[in-house]
Parts: sequence; C-alpha cells; structure tokens
Amino acid sequence: MAFLRSLTPATATAIAAASASALPAAFVFSSSSSSSSYSSSRNSSHFPNAKSLPFLSSPPNRLGLTRNFATSPTALNMDSPSSHHNSSQENGSLPDLLTEYMVDMKCEGCVTAVKNKLQIVDGVKSVEVDLSNQVVRILGNSPVKAMNEALEQTGRKARLIGQGVPEDFLVSAAVAEFKGPQIFGVVRLAQVSMELARIEASFSGLSPGKHGWSINEFGDLTRGAASTGKVFNPSNEGTAKQPIGDLGTLDVDKNGEAFYTGVKQQLMVADLIGRSIAVYETEDRSDPGLTAAVIARSAGVGENYKKICACDGTTIWEASDKDFVTSKV
Amino acid sequence: MQAAAIVAMVAHAILTITPSHHTLLHALSSPNPSDPQKQFSLLAVSKKAVAVLKGDSKVEGVVTLTQEDDGRTTVNVRVTGLTPGLHGFHLHEYGDTTNGCMSTGAHFNPNRMTHGAPEDEVRHVGDLGNIVANADGVAEATIVDKQIPLSGPSAVIGRAFVVHELEDDLGKGGHELSLTTGNAGGRLACGVVGLTPI
Repeated sequence: MAFLRSLTPATATAIAAASASALPAAFVFSSSSSSSSYSSSRNSSHFPNAKSLPFLSSPPNRLGLTRNFATSPTALNMDSPSSHHNSSQENGSLPDLLTEYMVDMKCEGCVTAVKNKLQIVDGVKSVEVDLSNQVVRILGNSPVKAMNEALEQTGRKARLIGQGVPEDFLVSAAVAEFKGPQIFGVVRLAQVSMELARIEASFSGLSPGKHGWSINEFGDLTRGAASTGKVFNPSNEGTAKQPIGDLGTLDVDKNGEAFYTGVKQQLMVADLIGRSIAVYETEDRSDPGLTAAVIARSAGVGENYKKICACDGTTIWEASDKDFVTSKV
Repeated sequence: MQAAAIVAMVAHAILTITPSHHTLLHALSSPNPSDPQKQFSLLAVSKKAVAVLKGDSKVEGVVTLTQEDDGRTTVNVRVTGLTPGLHGFHLHEYGDTTNGCMSTGAHFNPNRMTHGAPEDEVRHVGDLGNIVANADGVAEATIVDKQIPLSGPSAVIGRAFVVHELEDDLGKGGHELSLTTGNAGGRLACGVVGLTPI
C-alpha cells in the first residue's frame, strides 16, 4: 500500500481508471514511458489528458473539449449530412501533414512533371523530391485521395509509403485494412500534434446509405467485428454518449463507396495500435458489426524505403495487399 | 467528496485486481530505475494478443500470444491450408500490407542483427523459425520466446505475422538471402497482432 501515499492525486486517478477500464489508461502509461527521448514532451501533454478522466469530472476539461469540437466542425463529422459532399469544406481546416510516396521516376524531367502536378493540388504547401530514392514528400493538408489522383495523372506508378514525422511522435502513423471478401477499405490515422490525429478512410462494397463506424477497444478478429469489444473510450469522457472512439457515420454512395477525411481531438495514434476499426450495418451501431480491421503500425516518413520483397522478388510497383503466393496443395 | 470518490475507486480497483493488475501495482510500489526495461514490462497491462492470418489462397490461421510474468511470450499457432512440410514464420516490423510485403517492412529487428533461428543469439526479434504442416496441411505449434513482449517499445502489437511458402533456412542456407530473410519464398498469409480482452 506504500505506493498509494507516494502518488500524486492525478496518478492515483489514472490508476483507478486503469483498473476500472482495464486497458486504455494503462496503455497511456506504457506509451509515455517507452522512450526517454519522448517522455518529457509526451508527459506534458499526456498527463493533462489523464487528468480529464471522469472521476474528476473536471469542468475546465469538459469545457475545453466542447470548445475544441465547436472550433473544429470537422472533428467528428457526426452532424454533417455527408462526409463525401462537404469534403472541400473539411480540407480547409485539415491540419498539415507530411506524406511520403515512392514514385516511379528516373530523370530530372520526371521530377519536374511530378512536382508541377502535385503543387497545384489544393492544400499542398511544399513538394520535395529525392530522385535517388524515388521518393516524394508532400507537406500540406490535402487528403490522400487528392494526392493519389494527382500522381495518377502523371501516368507514373506511385505508392504511399509513409505519413507523419516519426521523430515527433512515438507512433506517427497507423493503418487499418479491410480485406473483403465483400467490404474493402483502408483507414489511415496520422498524428499531427499531441492533441490531434487525422483520419482518412475509403471503403467499397458497403450497402448504400449510412453506416456507423468506430474505433473499438480490441483488435481481436476471431469472430469478426463481434469480438472487438466496446467503443474505445479511455477516459470515459462524455460517458456513453460520445466516446472518443466514436467516428460517427459513413455516408455510402450508390456505388457502395464511402470516403471520409477528418480530424479527431485528443486522439493519440500510439494508444490505438492493436485496437480495431469496425463498420456497422446500422447508423447507431446497434448490430454486431459488418466488418472490422486491426489498427496496425505503419511507417512514418523516412522509415521504410523497402522497394523489393527479398522473400519472393516482388517489387513495390507490383505489390498489393493481396499479392500472396498460392499454396500448391 | 471527489477525493473520497477517488479513494473508493482505488480501493475497488485493489479489491478486484486480476494478476496482471497486481503486477502493475507491484511495479509502482517498488520501481527499479536501473532497469527501465523491466520496470516497463511490469507496468504494462496488455498480456494477451491475437492475430488472424489470411491470404489469397485457402491458407488461414490464428495466432494467440500470452505473455507470462517472467517476460516470456507463449505463441500458439494454428494454420491450415498449407502444403505439408516446413514454412517460415516471421514477425514483420509494420502491420501495414497496403503495398504488400513492402509496407510491412523487414523482419522486426530493433537490435539490428542478421537473420537467424529463434534459439540463436544473433537473430531478428521477428525470426520465429518454421512451423511444420502435417499431411493434412495443418500446422500447429507452441513457441515460447523471450524477445517478443506484448508491451513496451519492442511490443509485437500492431505488427504482422507472415507465413511463408518455403522453409526458412534459419540463416544457414548459404543463399544470398539466408542472412536477411532465410530464403523462405513468398507470403502465403499474414495477420496483424491485435489486443484481446485480458
């Protein structure tokens, strides 16, 4: 019991939270102490978050949260009738992010062509090209979809290989992939500041209309979405009404596709690794869920220039999420 | 009132602790600053994880991981649909397969070693050797390894398990790929390690 006396009230609260809500708050512990070089900056922003745990029912934090949502209408996109249609409005308030592509370029001429095409994309602030590595780094608030389309127009093969600055955050980027057989999708999460994460998603194969989706506490897919637990809500802030893992609704068009771009306050990507994103049949997520995908670590900018798979000789230009060899049974 | 509520919560937590919570409390009561790694693993609560492996063919499987109090992790593997024989079984740095094998990065290798067998001193952390499929194409294995914790900076959570087409030569095949990949051929199936309820 000696430890109780030596703890500050905030820490004691965090422990209570850890014990009460199992994983989440303890995960905060692990992520903030995992690297000494990050710990000072992370602690300063992380433990204030921990203080906003429900047991304190701290009015300033509640107000802070409300204010954040109010000044950032795209934060949850919950009230927006369609995330697809108002994407231009969202772009205006998206935070800047560094995104890195590998692009099939072999000469200075191609560098200029690629740069010119990217620089006119709405929201792109700067484009940096490293021809020797065939790498293009783009700083700006443009959604991945817009950058992909611009690169497609150059007629060159391009692959997104990194997002976010790994030096700044413990985990700068994560991805959840939905691999069918009916529903396919990619959700990218990137840390843009200590209090803000960017979320981009594209889905196909969903039934047209509105579908609820959320970050769920577990990444256990043994029973699909049904084994992913409850909506991720480390602090229980806002009780069951608006958990931090609530992503609102996806608006699926008549082709079964949905695109989403937005930001989420108070979301630390490092805390989401190994959890999941689930998509539901219903808007209010009252069903067991259609599909789910584990939130995986992905490379930050400069972390992964792997261009050829040594195991079977596949190059990045041929690669896809289903380039498996088939077992010859 | 608030303070009383906190005390009540903590008391409740102590009364209802599970073994893993117990280690959390223990770590706080006797931290050992000279051994940050140890302190770290004690602080962590996540002790179970699971990866569901899928490929494009009929190869599929489930890998469950349980971390013991001594830091060793027990990995239970069951993969079906394989060709009979040995198949390389590795953990890659990232769980991202949007660009296939490329976006998963290399074998998870935080200590910058060359490829080896699970029992070797010099190995990638992600080198878990081979799993053996029987005549029915089913591979079942229990691997106990001390280099693959479920928490901390080298945590396996969010990374990807990959089952390969061929046998991993464990770095000893003399092939030019032996010291990087074990020359285990293409990927048959992979899965991201996710958190499970404790």
